[in-house]
Amino acid sequence: MKRTFTSSRSLVATFMMGMAVFGIATIGCGDSKPPANSGAANSGAANSGAANSGTVNGGAAGGGSTVTAPPAKFTLAWSEYPSWSIFGVADEVGLIDGKAGAMGSIEKKYNIDIELLLASYDQCITLYGNSQADAVCITNIDILGAAGSRNSVAIMPTSTSAGADACITAGIKSIDELAGKPTRGLEKSVSQYCFERCLEKLGKNPADFPFSQMDPEQAAQAFQGKDDKIPSIMVWNPFVMQSVRSRNDAHVLFSSELIPEEIIDMVVVGKDSLGKKGGSDFAKVVVETFYAMNQRMNDEKTRAATLIGIGARFAKLELEDMKTVVTQTRFYSDPKDAVRLFTEEKFQKETMPLVSKFCVKYGLTQAPVELSFGTGKGVMDFDTTFVKEYLEQPKK
Amino acid sequence: MIRREIPKWLFLALAIGGVVALLVSYELLSERQTKINPKQTTIPSFAKLNEGLQKIFQPQGTEENPKPPMFWNDMRATLWRLLVGLGVGVSASIVVGVLMGAYRWIEAPLSPVVMFLSKIPPTAMMPIYFAVAGTDQRMFTSMVALGIFFSMAQSIYQAVRDNVSDESINKAYTLGASETEVIYEVIWKQILPNVIDCVRMQIGPAMIFLIAAEMVVSDAGLGYQIRMQSRVLNMNIVFVYLVILGIIGLIAEFGLVWLRRWLCPWFEEGAR
Repeated sequence: MKRTFTSSRSLVATFMMGMAVFGIATIGCGDSKPPANSGAANSGAANSGAANSGTVNGGAAGGGSTVTAPPAKFTLAWSEYPSWSIFGVADEVGLIDGKAGAMGSIEKKYNIDIELLLASYDQCITLYGNSQADAVCITNIDILGAAGSRNSVAIMPTSTSAGADACITAGIKSIDELAGKPTRGLEKSVSQYCFERCLEKLGKNPADFPFSQMDPEQAAQAFQGKDDKIPSIMVWNPFVMQSVRSRNDAHVLFSSELIPEEIIDMVVVGKDSLGKKGGSDFAKVVVETFYAMNQRMNDEKTRAATLIGIGARFAKLELEDMKTVVTQTRFYSDPKDAVRLFTEEKFQKETMPLVSKFCVKYGLTQAPVELSFGTGKGVMDFDTTFVKEYLEQPKK
Repeated sequence: MIRREIPKWLFLALAIGGVVALLVSYELLSERQTKINPKQTTIPSFAKLNEGLQKIFQPQGTEENPKPPMFWNDMRATLWRLLVGLGVGVSASIVVGVLMGAYRWIEAPLSPVVMFLSKIPPTAMMPIYFAVAGTDQRMFTSMVALGIFFSMAQSIYQAVRDNVSDESINKAYTLGASETEVIYEVIWKQILPNVIDCVRMQIGPAMIFLIAAEMVVSDAGLGYQIRMQSRVLNMNIVFVYLVILGIIGLIAEFGLVWLRRWLCPWFEEGAR
């Protein structure tokens, strides 16, 4: 009797454990892609049903489309940042559908299925560097480290930091007062690069200004909590904005305004992925989506709604804050401007070599990364082909 | 049949086989990944791991600002934090645990508090530690110490209650022992092996709290280095550091078992 009792009890326990595992798996799946889910729900409304049809049959169900082959699948890893959250909003308005197996209007045009992977910035770098994503939203500094493990092509710049990275101090009114006092921020990152470059621009020796490691979010929190051991932080937005506001004695000592167009946010595709079937179409979809969203942002009628959309995907900022954010993070809204940046001498001969030097100095790369600009020869190539193709497209 | 003995040589051979299987499957995985992307650093080959091993012993920093090799720097930082944290946490929990087990009027107010607080994961309390204890040694110490304090105090208190019989306490009283003598000679000596085992069990959690905190606020330490190196995709260094963490754990484990056998030869696991 006792035996039967025990075994039935263990059966029940096993069953319950199985249910628990199943439950966790389901919750995990639901949680990992909130934008994709909400996007699917909204895209139907935005496109009056067009986006919802043909999820499985690809172009065939699109009506009148001649494409019959199943769409090539690509993944784009993005983190919440003004010019990258645009992809999250594009998913919401139905230009692309971030879920695998579903396509938005631009995806359909090229018969490409893009999956958006939302992760933290550091995770995005790891995803991309370890070939778990075809493309990534990344800065021109961090990409050099990742290019060491994967040959890369930057297909377009999305924005540049013009005040979005800043050194914020409390009780320190001048640069000379900062000497010898620790500044907290993320090492080997845009923050440290910006810190050193600004000091150089101001005629100081960066070696006199200690910079020590702390996660930007934690540094901002500690600063906002008036931790007197943290008189100075070097962080990026939204932490810049929050920190300046949080205390009356907070003061922006210097910011990336001093180094215009040195910190570039971009979309980078792995050379291997670009070479895959449909790779260049994937790049075209990304480029077209970005500029289509920029048009919405610059159009008076849709500007507020687009900014609110981006804000919802960037630290839950409201419209007024977003208006400030886009002045500190200047978008490359005009494709001509993007081509100008990647092809001009300053970027090729000054900015990138400086960045490369920084990466070697702090061990992001062992040796200078071999750079090329549109020739495709380097380990890291800055290619304007796709933006130019977009420019040459006949406009509606 | 369950628990049937196997020959000693077979056991040893299978043990070695397990380790070899781990290494071989790792190498195969690495080769497969290299075939997909020759520049991959995700699963570095043994040659790459060796490079990583060399690199952690090379001097770091820039010419104008040289720094010691990362290995020594990180080990010193992490081990110091761990030892100070463990030291404070263990001594505090011994005092509280023994007193709770010895005196009902201490047990009554403390046991619900200790029991409740021991259930909150210390990693979840990290933001509070940052806010209250700052970001330097004090934060790491309090985090490790408090992280292990509640559950250790709880187990020591239970060890005193369950493992020290009333008879032995009464015997000591009959022989004329004072209260402090009872606590030291009877209670303390009897629970010492439990305390050592407790420390052994708590080193794992202590490392978790420490590494998690180091990943967020620290400019040296194993956790810091693992985060920074994985950020720049130097997985060969990350893997070497993981192996080092494993070795630290093994040394602590065997060291404490040996200490227990040496200090309390009368105590055997089976005899509990």
